[in-house]
Amino acid sequence: MLLEIRNLHATVGDKEILKGIDLTIGKGEVHAIMGPNGAGKSTLGAVLTGRPGYEVTEGSVLYNGEDLLAMAPEERAWAGLFLSFQYPIEIPGVTITAFMKAAVNAKRKAHGLPEMKTADFLKLMKEKMAFVQMKPEFAKREVNVGFSGGEKKRNEIFQMALLDPVLSILDETDSGLDVDALKIVADGVNALRSPEKSAIIVTHYHKLLEYVQPDYVHVLKAGRIVKTGGRELIEAIESKGFDQF
Amino acid sequence: MGHGKYIAPPVGQYQVQAGEVLNLEFVVLPGESKDIDVSIDLVGPGAEAHLKGLYLCKADEKVNFRIVMHHRAPGCKSTQLFNGIAGGNSQVNFGGTIVVAPDAQQTEAYQENHNIVLTPEARVETKPQLEIYADDVKCSHGATVGQLNEDELFYMRSRGIPEKEAKTLQMLSFLSPVIPEGREEEILLSLHHVLE
Repeated sequence: MLLEIRNLHATVGDKEILKGIDLTIGKGEVHAIMGPNGAGKSTLGAVLTGRPGYEVTEGSVLYNGEDLLAMAPEERAWAGLFLSFQYPIEIPGVTITAFMKAAVNAKRKAHGLPEMKTADFLKLMKEKMAFVQMKPEFAKREVNVGFSGGEKKRNEIFQMALLDPVLSILDETDSGLDVDALKIVADGVNALRSPEKSAIIVTHYHKLLEYVQPDYVHVLKAGRIVKTGGRELIEAIESKGFDQF
Repeated sequence: MGHGKYIAPPVGQYQVQAGEVLNLEFVVLPGESKDIDVSIDLVGPGAEAHLKGLYLCKADEKVNFRIVMHHRAPGCKSTQLFNGIAGGNSQVNFGGTIVVAPDAQQTEAYQENHNIVLTPEARVETKPQLEIYADDVKCSHGATVGQLNEDELFYMRSRGIPEKEAKTLQMLSFLSPVIPEGREEEILLSLHHVLE
């Protein structure tokens, strides 16, 4: 098992948002988590990646058999965890190149590898940018500063492709995207599919799931997973909404 | 006084004549307590003064800036940008005054002072002042005191950048507009000291 979440409770401020999540993700699996606004979908992603301000009050999360919650956010990244942010953060004054070079080399260092040569890094970056159809001049742009909504999401997928994670969590990466951008995102996720890699796709509508077909679909409501099934659930949600659960 | 660039924090009085340009750069590194008193008189038409300052405090330093920019002649221009980081229980005082004399029409004068405070014990006071006695002028001043942005830090850490390096990247980008050419490495090293 890659990820085992047991009875996870989490609060933001004084408010309990996650009220006992159980979820197991095997290697090579793609899981979709669907649910109405306010169900706790984004909180789950935040807790799994260690965002400050989210407190786990009960339960456990094992990642490759290790206590994920005891790891710092950067350690989780080194272990192969990646979150595509619903609202990507702007970092004024830091270019995408500087940002990603620091990220790639920190991960290599953590795994006992030497730093990547600048020329090799730039070549790799160019490849991955082309893959998500980002213009080369974005390499010199400040991270997410002045980007459109679609450009920010594409930048997330570019980072995902470059960092080559083991477990990707996509938090509403599809929201606000037109069909072309959606396809780019989907291609990015599909390209990472392999027997060793897994993904959690958090969304409240079905469009992305037409392009990236999940193995399992979960319905998250009021902080709990209330239903788990296959792709047939997507259609049920599409026709009857979340009230049926 | 001339057009030169000064590596050590320049202090004292300067008179800038018609058509001359004065560039001053101020760098205060960790461990240095400094009183920086500078008074600049733009006495000839079209004179210019451009000031950039950077300060980094990590322990119990006391850094005081008192900058007075006098626009005494018409058509002069002055710009000032001071960015600093205060850690430990250091104390920074920034006082900057721009005075525009009645005769100094068509003046352009700008001053900004931005600060990042790293600890609850560090103190920064910033007081930009404008005294304008002419009516045809473009003047602005601004001052901020803030902290490292938590969202940015988490975003970087979520990508695998260690906390300390993420903070360094943030501070470097904050200071970059005021880092004198050729001193990038030295400032980077000083930033590591500040985070120790």
